[in-house]
Amino acid sequence: MTAIARAWDNLTVTGKILVPLLFLVLVVAPVATVLIALFVGPWVVDVLASNLGIVRFVVAITGVLVFTIPTAFVIIYMEMKVIARMNLRIGPDRVGPYGSLMSVVHGLKFLSKEDFTPTGADVPVFTLAPVVVFLATVMTFLVVPFGPGLVAQDLNIGLLYLFAIGGMNVVGLLMAGWASFNKYSLLGGLRAAAQAVSYEIPLTLSVVGLVLLAGTLSVYQIGAAQAGWFTDWFVFRQPLGALIFLIAGTAEANRSPLDMTEADQEIVAGFATEYSGMRFAFFFFAEYVNVFVMSALIVTLFFGAWNAPFPFPDVAPALDPGSLGIGLVLLLAAAPVALTLLFAAPFYLARSSTPAWQALLLGFITFSVVAVGGLLGAAYLGLDWFAGLAWFMVKTFVFVFVFVWMRGTFPRVRIDQLMGFAWKWLLPASLLNLFVTAAAILVVEALNKAG
Amino acid sequence: MTTTTPPQHPSADDPRILLDDQIGAFEAVPPYPPRTEREAEFYSLGDGEMFLNMGPQHPSTHGVLRVVLKIDGERVVDLDPVLGYLHRGVEKLCETSDFHHIISQLDPLEYISSLFMEWAPVMAFEQLLDVQVPRRAEYIRVLTGELNRVASHALFQGWMALDLGGLTPILYSFIERDEIVEMLAAITGQRMLFNYFRIGGVNGDLNHEFMSRLGDWMSRASVQNQANTDLLNDNEIFVRRMRGIGRLDRETALRMGTTGPNIRAAGVPFDIRRAHPYSVYPELEFDIPTRGHDGGGDSLDRYLLRIDEVKQSLRIIDQCLHNMPDGPVMAGLPRLLRPRPGRAWAAVEAPRGLFGTYVISDGTDQPFRMKIHDPSFVNLQLVGLLMKGNLIADTMAVMASLDPVMGGIDK
Amino acid sequence: MSTIPGMGMVRGMGLTLRRFFAPKATIQWPEVHADVAPKFRGRLQLLYDEYGTLKCETCFQCAQACPIECIDMGGMDTKGRFHVHWGPPETYGERREESAVRRSGRPVADHAFTRFEAIDLAPLDAILEAHDYDPRDMLAILEETQAAYGHLPVAALRHISRVTGAWYAMIYGTATYYRHLRFEPPAVTDAPPAGAAQRELEDAYRSALDTALGLGGRPS
Repeated sequence: MTAIARAWDNLTVTGKILVPLLFLVLVVAPVATVLIALFVGPWVVDVLASNLGIVRFVVAITGVLVFTIPTAFVIIYMEMKVIARMNLRIGPDRVGPYGSLMSVVHGLKFLSKEDFTPTGADVPVFTLAPVVVFLATVMTFLVVPFGPGLVAQDLNIGLLYLFAIGGMNVVGLLMAGWASFNKYSLLGGLRAAAQAVSYEIPLTLSVVGLVLLAGTLSVYQIGAAQAGWFTDWFVFRQPLGALIFLIAGTAEANRSPLDMTEADQEIVAGFATEYSGMRFAFFFFAEYVNVFVMSALIVTLFFGAWNAPFPFPDVAPALDPGSLGIGLVLLLAAAPVALTLLFAAPFYLARSSTPAWQALLLGFITFSVVAVGGLLGAAYLGLDWFAGLAWFMVKTFVFVFVFVWMRGTFPRVRIDQLMGFAWKWLLPASLLNLFVTAAAILVVEALNKAG
Repeated sequence: MTTTTPPQHPSADDPRILLDDQIGAFEAVPPYPPRTEREAEFYSLGDGEMFLNMGPQHPSTHGVLRVVLKIDGERVVDLDPVLGYLHRGVEKLCETSDFHHIISQLDPLEYISSLFMEWAPVMAFEQLLDVQVPRRAEYIRVLTGELNRVASHALFQGWMALDLGGLTPILYSFIERDEIVEMLAAITGQRMLFNYFRIGGVNGDLNHEFMSRLGDWMSRASVQNQANTDLLNDNEIFVRRMRGIGRLDRETALRMGTTGPNIRAAGVPFDIRRAHPYSVYPELEFDIPTRGHDGGGDSLDRYLLRIDEVKQSLRIIDQCLHNMPDGPVMAGLPRLLRPRPGRAWAAVEAPRGLFGTYVISDGTDQPFRMKIHDPSFVNLQLVGLLMKGNLIADTMAVMASLDPVMGGIDK
Repeated sequence: MSTIPGMGMVRGMGLTLRRFFAPKATIQWPEVHADVAPKFRGRLQLLYDEYGTLKCETCFQCAQACPIECIDMGGMDTKGRFHVHWGPPETYGERREESAVRRSGRPVADHAFTRFEAIDLAPLDAILEAHDYDPRDMLAILEETQAAYGHLPVAALRHISRVTGAWYAMIYGTATYYRHLRFEPPAVTDAPPAGAAQRELEDAYRSALDTALGLGGRPS
């Protein structure tokens, strides 16, 4: 007892608050969950079942919020590593295996930094701006379909929602630029506004042709319309639209070479000049989540969404695990041991100098790899949503790589060239794309009617 | 209710002292009335204009240059460079150190191309002392100097791209520069502030380490340089940002005393190595590349000209290696140098233009006066002419293409 | 620029992608050290001659010449005891100055005698006794010292520091903060300022010149 008392005395004030909370979470919460499940479970299930839409929404929002953080971490790590390799450097390699925990350390660093508000800043707006930017970015996740059935809300005007919410991003940037009381920030904010106004139009117009072809505004339906061979992807029917969407999306996500808003060499860090600590981290996260969303959109709209490039032969698992009954339990218990021993045997027998524990360890590792591979393969074959998610993620990260690649290669475009490009080239091109698509649809319909 | 006046800070009445509680404290306008017509003109803001203080802690002002920009939206209306953040008083330091010591004082002036900062004073001292430098020493000076020029221009290419927002070329440039710098470290003993040239020769002969590194590098230098420049030279974004920006015409360049690549990019083939030959340059074959069109040159010309110069430097290095004579590398000189009273001027073609020193000796072991003519300082005058009317983003392109080094400007 | 718009950019991306897989230039310091040329001057090390004897003669010239006083001397004495340095480091600065002066060829001042002139400490002791050697009365002590001596001699300040236990730097700071305290005897103000006679001559010359040039009177 004295040991506990001494430990309690040694705790700081924060610790004295956190440790009971931890106790609550670890002990009380499971007990309470079990009690609730036992006694009020049926009633809760009824309530949840009758409000399935709301439940789905809340679960989806939570999932999306939780999902953004690792996504941003992975993309930040990827950017550091890829640009470093393109620069003939190695990049982060000290924290974690191959430096993979570097972005986590970045996050901790931001958390521990001072949250600084400059003199003369408009404090409420200054505080709200990162939240607005982050929310605007995260909310676009809501209609992104990650796989068949894996969509938070299948809005029938999903595409419209995407552009509307994505446009809110610039409000946050403008708020940040104005409230920072810094001329560089102001320039950055105004550049963001000008750029967003210019590039929203070609961005939106470039997908109208696609909407005409698909006949729907729902992002999920557009994705589903591209099933089959990869020749059915919309990029082959709308190549110009895809190109315009890629360029305008780069500008919309404020990525180099079109990152006017935070051009370090010109306006220090643009709207983010005066931000530090967690507020800056919000901007940082928002930027990288934006990259992911843009890549996901390109994949969804033009590159076949979650569909594999070729229809996979439908190999349903011949064995239904449920039919094994008690045998399944026995198999689950016996397989790891048996297989570990089986895989360890060659290591042990091949070289007499290998000690037994090493052989067992190697066997276990081999078993783990095989088991995980087998499970993933089974999931890929058996579960539609898993296969869709895998393809979607692979394709999306290819485009994330393209964004990073462009950042590593190109110098920045000048602001007037940027605006001129949007109004003189992208806008006419997207209008032309729309016109040609509409005409082609009419011609095909007329031919169908005639034939 | 009785009101008590709050205690006043004693300086509240003093109009010369600016208090922080006024928002005006953040303005770039100085708190005193304008002292010259130019100040009055610059600090009067027109409709919709504002000041933007750029530097001395700005990512792309090449060290610690501070420029107060008067901008109208994104357009630069007027500007006022503020110098002196890196001032060391080198000329004064030179007056209180002896002739050997001065060489190391001048090294950090243009820290990118230190050998040229040693070359000019050493030549001036040799004139004062009537020393004949051994031919092998002269060849080694030319060899190492041209290597340093390549390193300097390589770094320029990277900076140019970095100031335009490209992340990658600066790293390629540093790889290139690092090879040369390590090579020079093998012969001089230092990577950056070489302190290699001596009055009457150089400190140390060629050695195996240097020659093997040099041979290794020479075998792939031109290919490597070509690959690095390919990344930018064809890039539409890069070319469109540089073409037509910061146009410097012949007459202005001559009138402003511009030297080095900046004037050659405007079409004037002025190069000290040919105009006033020194060392063994008359014996070497090389061209003076010029660029420019319609009687002037823009930022892209200045960028491309430096790439041409690297090719010429490689030619010179090749000839130096083939013609290298045998013999001593140091003239016989007493330990304590007391030149006759007199004056001497020597100039070399540094990577940024004419670098000259003017020395007055009064017969002691320290110079009576030493004037340093730095090319960056003269070239920096051009920003006032070239930046006006451009966008903020173009100030970077112009400044990077003029390639100033603040160590030399502030001295 | 190439003939096809955008080809330059595509080629640039090709180059970066090739470099993505190329061998890297990073040197993994501190596990791997770069090759350093034998002539490299950036290494501080003691050299041994061919018999294995240390070449350093502990002449202290390096420590004196070091501009940032990073060089120190240390070693074993004859009884095997380690001494960190063989000279008080707080004197390095003075010795460095001396060495600089000596190298410039000027006569070297002997600081032990020219630092400050000795004074009669009796009035100062009386003042300090009156204030009970209390450093909190420093301003009053200094004022009375100045009244007694006419200014604040350095010797007096050192004595105050030694007796009251206050740091010399604090006393010096106090003395320099107040305008009415001075370190030098007050200048004699009766004599006309230097160069007054010269200025009269100049004015006369200038007015004569103006009359000769027909410029009339100059605004003074």
